[in-house]
Amino acid sequence: VTVEATTLAGERMQLNLGPQHPATHGVLRIRIESDGEVVSTCIPDHGYLHRSIEKIGECVEWAMFVPYTDRVDYVCAMNANLAYCLAVERLLATDATTAVVVPRRAECIRVLVAELNRISSHLIAVGAMAMDIGAYTPFLHGIAQRELVNDIFEKLCGQRLTYNYVTIGGVAFDLHPGAPAEIAAFLDQLERELVRFHRLVTTNTIFRDRCAGVAVVTAAEAIAWGLVGPNLRGSGVDFDLRRDEPYGIYGELGVRVPTGQGYAGRRGAVGDCYDRYIVRVLEIQESVRLCRLVLQQLPPAAEKATDPVGGWQADVGKQLKKPPKGHVHCRTEAPRGEMGYFLVSDGTKQPYRVRVRTGSFSAAGIFHKVMRGIFLADVVAVIGSFDVVVPEIDR
Amino acid sequence: MTGLGYAVDALAAWLAGSSEPGWFAVGLAALVVWVGPLLGVVFPLAALGQIVERKVAAAIQRRHGPNSASLDGPLRFVVRVLLWFLPRARQDRVLAALLRLPLVRSLLPVLQRLGIGQLAADGVKMLGKEDIVPRGADGVVFRLAPYLALLGAFLPFCALPFAHHLVMLEVSVGALYAVAVSGITVTALLMAGWGSGNKFSLLGGMRAVAQMVSYEIPVGLAIAGVVLWSGTMDLHGIVAQQYRPGVVSCLGWNLLQSPFLAVLAGVFFLAGLAECQRTPFDMAEAESELVSGFNTEYSGLRWGLFALAEYTEMILIGALFATLFLGGYQSPVGEQWLVAAPVWLSVPIHGLVFLSKSLLALFVMVWIRWTLPRYRVDQVMRLCWLVLVPLCLVALFGLALQLVLTGGTVAGDGYGRLPARQRPDLGALAWLLGWLVPVAAGAVLVRLAYRAHGSTHPALLALTRDPAAGGRP
Repeated sequence: VTVEATTLAGERMQLNLGPQHPATHGVLRIRIESDGEVVSTCIPDHGYLHRSIEKIGECVEWAMFVPYTDRVDYVCAMNANLAYCLAVERLLATDATTAVVVPRRAECIRVLVAELNRISSHLIAVGAMAMDIGAYTPFLHGIAQRELVNDIFEKLCGQRLTYNYVTIGGVAFDLHPGAPAEIAAFLDQLERELVRFHRLVTTNTIFRDRCAGVAVVTAAEAIAWGLVGPNLRGSGVDFDLRRDEPYGIYGELGVRVPTGQGYAGRRGAVGDCYDRYIVRVLEIQESVRLCRLVLQQLPPAAEKATDPVGGWQADVGKQLKKPPKGHVHCRTEAPRGEMGYFLVSDGTKQPYRVRVRTGSFSAAGIFHKVMRGIFLADVVAVIGSFDVVVPEIDR
Repeated sequence: MTGLGYAVDALAAWLAGSSEPGWFAVGLAALVVWVGPLLGVVFPLAALGQIVERKVAAAIQRRHGPNSASLDGPLRFVVRVLLWFLPRARQDRVLAALLRLPLVRSLLPVLQRLGIGQLAADGVKMLGKEDIVPRGADGVVFRLAPYLALLGAFLPFCALPFAHHLVMLEVSVGALYAVAVSGITVTALLMAGWGSGNKFSLLGGMRAVAQMVSYEIPVGLAIAGVVLWSGTMDLHGIVAQQYRPGVVSCLGWNLLQSPFLAVLAGVFFLAGLAECQRTPFDMAEAESELVSGFNTEYSGLRWGLFALAEYTEMILIGALFATLFLGGYQSPVGEQWLVAAPVWLSVPIHGLVFLSKSLLALFVMVWIRWTLPRYRVDQVMRLCWLVLVPLCLVALFGLALQLVLTGGTVAGDGYGRLPARQRPDLGALAWLLGWLVPVAAGAVLVRLAYRAHGSTHPALLALTRDPAAGGRP
């Protein structure tokens, strides 16, 4: 038997990570070519969760698209609602006759629910990342806190996952009686829980060593590859739409923006997995602060039942029958980064085009670059650190 | 031969009808006297380990864990099988009478809440599952692997003393034997990984081999330290050497004899975790990376055997740890009275003490698993070769130095099996040399290593301070 040169040279192993794999956060498929444990190429394959949401947008009326935005990112549906409604409001505002004014109380409630949803989304993100790195318990502790947020939202709008709560011109319902107290109590106990979480995960040496120096994205690279949100800030770029391009009442709140600073210490670098993780946990703290701030300045509930805060504004429906022609792009800061809706209106009751720009899509773009030459075990850590939610990639 | 070894001889002689029985009779007798009861103790204990795992995990994760599977059905089934010769109506009557007993009525719900019912349900489920051999699998290798894994986990128990002279194989190199036969598990995991015809399994198998072969070195070095200290490789002798008369008999345990032995004990436990593929060293399974690693393709009974082997091995590590460092079967207090007690009293107590120590170690392993993340494969290797092995060598050297300086190898032997050489009483100097200097040096080393490694970022330390407790950590 002669041994051929090709067998001696060895061959790369083709691995299929997903679409059914415990660590791919949904039906994400990653084609990996590896030399044993070391990944040489890594190509994400998308489309397993494509539901043509953007196309649906062209087939339904303006207001009917709001429930679909829930499905664009079901981990933070409030933020997705908000992004779309803001875009439509901005479109309506291009013509003075159709412009809608969002009541102050509704603006406050919007920030409140968006930040609560950011907290619950980040809890999933950091918990799932810890789970990918092998610590199962923190994930459940994170989920337990998310359940409490879901309880609040369920009382608010009857839903626990896809809320359909933010409407064009306001929010669907006013806060239920006792909601501010409930939210304040939740924030207090969340802070106590977070201390435990940090002791369990954030300051854990194994966790830090697993993340330190893995998949480093420099600030220049992050900008060049179009990373957004925590992934961008993890690389040390100080940019947050809530502060730098404020919408709603964010401009008055003075949002503090955490950035990655090489928190992992000597073995880490600015923009590694640990920095992206830390940015998320710091953003949770910041969201807690923002929620408290909003609760303090929440205007009193309206006395009349017809007040537009809780419910549909009658005149918005009229204006949406004949919105101004033109196009508008509205960017918001969702938990997974910039969520932008690009709307084209031809003046009819349906959008001519709805285009969604999402954070996970940007993050998935850099996968093949950062997942080169790392260990197989790091692949799942990197997916976790970029906090990819697959329906955001496949719309 | 000692202890129950006589029983094997007697039974074999009786079976063979002669005073010099052949190998078959001896084997059969050993099976009846030893292997059967040992299986009857170790495997239920391993099954119990699964319940411990699920319950402890549940407690750590603030949930209830298995508590709903009733034991009523299994009890009925067992009673009906045992009373198969009776007509159904009479079986019903017996069952009704049984279920009326206050003890049964009070015990059943308790066992249910403890999750024992789940154990029965899982067992039945496992037996009933479809037995799948994947198309690309190497059938023979694939089928053989779980049995080998179980064998590798079970065989070392033969050399472990469960009580005074209650040991199956009285080999003079028991410590060596235990390490050697547990190496079979490596082969089993490699076979499972290779034979499955699945790349994830293959990676798991390869990781298992690399890791277990590496970690056998710190395990071996740690055992070498104990052997050096006690002057024997006989596990029974190692236990006997830890005997200390007096009320607080745990003062004689190896763990407390020397700081170097304490370091070796820590290394042994860590490396033991790695040997049985537990978090943070569960490279071979690595659920979030390799789906389930080497046993991804297994189902039903074979998967169950792997699970059983895993828990058996955990108990084995615990038992070995107890034997080497925690005085084996000896009670932590008042061992001198137990030694003097009659056999019918001392053997069960010794056995219980031994198993409790193993279960305690198992509990710690479970606790670690549900608390810590997993190391990466290169970090596991680095920890072994760059930290544990050098640490072991240094500790071994220090231990030898301590022995030379303080003179003698063996402190004392309550059973009179080893030459009792008393160390010269150096008083405060021995304490200084034996404890203070090594501990101080160790503290400095740890501090240096910590600084070199890099500690938590100061900004993050603030996150771990409880705002309600006035910012105190």
